[in-house]
Amino acid sequence: MRSILKKMLGVALAASLCLGAVACKKKDSKSDFKVGAIYINSQNDTSGYTYAHHKGITTAMEAAGLSVKDDLIIVDNVPEDDEAVRAAIDTLAGKGCKIIFGISFGYINAMDAAAKDYPDIIFSHGTGYLSNDTNFNNYFGRIYQARYLAGIAAGYKSLELGNNNIGYVSAYGTEYAETCSGINAFTLGCLSVNKDATVHVYELNTWGDIEKERQAAQILIDTYGCCVIAQHCDSAQPQLVAAEKGFFGCGYNSDMAVDAPSAHLTAPVWNWNVYYQLAIETARDDAKNFMSKVGNYYGGLKENFVDISPLTENVPAPAATAIATARELMVKGEWDVFSGVALSFDASGNMTKSDVALVTNDGTEIVAAGGASVEDGVITGSMNYFVAGVIQEQ
Amino acid sequence: MSQQEPLEVKGLRKQINRGKNSLAKQFHLVRKSRMKLWQNALYILIGVVVALAIGAAILTSLDISAIDYYSDMFTIGLVGNAYPERAIENFLVSYVPLLITSLALALSFKMRFWNIGGEGQFLIGALTSAVIAIKFPGLNPYLMLLLMSVVAMLCSGVTGLAIARLKTKYNTNETLATLMINYIALYVVTFFGETKADWNFFLRTDSERPKFTSFTKMPFVEIGDFHLQISVLVTLLIATGIWFYLRYTKQGYEISVIGDSRRTATYAGMNVKRITLRTMFTSAALIGLAGAFTASSSGCISTNITNNVGWTGIIVAWLSKLSIPGIVLSSFLITILQFGCRSASSLYPSIDSHFADLLQGLILFAVLAADFFANYKVVRIMSAGEKQEEQHEDKKEVES
Repeated sequence: MRSILKKMLGVALAASLCLGAVACKKKDSKSDFKVGAIYINSQNDTSGYTYAHHKGITTAMEAAGLSVKDDLIIVDNVPEDDEAVRAAIDTLAGKGCKIIFGISFGYINAMDAAAKDYPDIIFSHGTGYLSNDTNFNNYFGRIYQARYLAGIAAGYKSLELGNNNIGYVSAYGTEYAETCSGINAFTLGCLSVNKDATVHVYELNTWGDIEKERQAAQILIDTYGCCVIAQHCDSAQPQLVAAEKGFFGCGYNSDMAVDAPSAHLTAPVWNWNVYYQLAIETARDDAKNFMSKVGNYYGGLKENFVDISPLTENVPAPAATAIATARELMVKGEWDVFSGVALSFDASGNMTKSDVALVTNDGTEIVAAGGASVEDGVITGSMNYFVAGVIQEQ
Repeated sequence: MSQQEPLEVKGLRKQINRGKNSLAKQFHLVRKSRMKLWQNALYILIGVVVALAIGAAILTSLDISAIDYYSDMFTIGLVGNAYPERAIENFLVSYVPLLITSLALALSFKMRFWNIGGEGQFLIGALTSAVIAIKFPGLNPYLMLLLMSVVAMLCSGVTGLAIARLKTKYNTNETLATLMINYIALYVVTFFGETKADWNFFLRTDSERPKFTSFTKMPFVEIGDFHLQISVLVTLLIATGIWFYLRYTKQGYEISVIGDSRRTATYAGMNVKRITLRTMFTSAALIGLAGAFTASSSGCISTNITNNVGWTGIIVAWLSKLSIPGIVLSSFLITILQFGCRSASSLYPSIDSHFADLLQGLILFAVLAADFFANYKVVRIMSAGEKQEEQHEDKKEVES
């Protein structure tokens, strides 16, 4: 027994010596510029929100000549709790990050407070609405423009199938301007091609529930006879259901043709790397003027920040021409979705512009015929009505 | 049933049963004679080293230097840190609630009252204290902290009292009752956090999406760049107080007698019901206080505010065998583990916090296993024939 104890003691001593020696060794940093990121999920996810942002940041860093392995510091799985976010920010600041991205909405209080305590670090908050004049901005995009283009594709498909019912699985409805503006833009896109189209909206009341997303798509097809299923939710379930039942759909966030090749038309997608590259390069090269150069970022088709995934073979041919026309108008800034001017496309994709008032589905006029587009603040913050053509089913 | 079974099956079953019995007869768990503290510590150290070795193997397979990783982990990221004082502050901010909760849980565990409702009591404390902070923003920060603490302790304590009352009056199962309160409290907080309405003063008014509003943070003592929150000092006082209470007061003695045997306590003329109610109120109130401290130190509440201390506290209390100095130490070490794991995993983009959790789990498991083997040994009991043989051999040896 005694000899065993002695051996154990030896092992333990050796181990503690090793640990002691280890503790003294400092990590050598290779570059001065470090990027910090706070994720709501894990960077090792293979799809979804965090995955899209992580891919955007790594792509941007490589393009900016930074090493992801050495210069990117991540605190992941951070809940929307102020203390947890603050601890993550302190960790990143301690490791020398010069810019810190927080991707989830609930990080807002903590990032706002930290921006005051760390004036030399730039804080950049995705989907938020707070900012300051020196080192705190927010970023989001005109995904509604991409949704309009997807709506055109869906409109042509519904004409081809002779079925005016189009379904839309949405996390929320009018509660959030983000979901609300997406539904409206998609509907206006559908109507520009098929005047008789109706968009049936099914709300889930949650941002991520695979089972509910699946059921919603089934109900939209079985009960409301929808032939195209669009979505504003995380998983590809609505597309899979459409494929199983022999119908069609528009995904979201990533090219869901990968998941449902027989059903997918096109999906509105984010190119997060476009913003991340701009932010990282500005923070590295000209941090003092970050707020005047980048500011609160709200990019669209013009900046290539949002787009649609390549049209599949399921999309009727004239849609490509129509989408290209509409895209050009928005890229040039000559026209925008929520205005008093409506586009309409004929069967071969030719466009006509006409002055039509923007009206809600209960008859209230939002923009008079020929009027200018609603303000960005409405699209991001206060839009809480559905346009004519939308029916809220659930 | 057994009559319908074919004979072969019957035979097999007999064999299996016999096998089982013989195995149970052969191996026994025997409690070792009392280990010295340093011997126990040595076992635990070896367990930790084994867990770290497994972790190192995984890290190496991911092409990451285990040495770098562990050095960052055990120094909780302090080496080469541009703001080490912030790291220590955050460390203390997670240490305080874990320590108070573990102490409070130990109080009720000593009495063999299984309070596993730490999460719920913590949330009740946080939520009710937030009401004070939001409704009276103009108060002096010290007064506000005091009021928040009192309200949280009362509300959470009353919940504990109610459960204890159910136990003493109807002999309900306190494990189930405290467990269920956890979920009720969690969903109450979720309800306030997600319901946009004019009456809901918990939410920010300028936000489109629901988000808990912020309020004044806890006052702190400035020591250079370092901000020492008041709660740290109060917590140390509480730990000393509980230690003294359990060791030197009549009430503390009563708790341990009830823990040993309820009947003995009754026979000795103790009012068991009263003591149960009193102790459970104290336990729940202290956990509520931890909730108030956390709400006050972050200046906000959320559904994740507990950081699982209600569960981790149970591990801490048992690891320390309900000894108060042991709890102070082991909750300190577990916080280093949690904090350090997270800090180290941030440095490597290929490693996410799941690895940190895995390593934590490995280490805790190894510690528990080491603690078990430090106190128990597996003994093979020999059959009569084997015993004779051995005796025979012994004799031979002696003769030669």
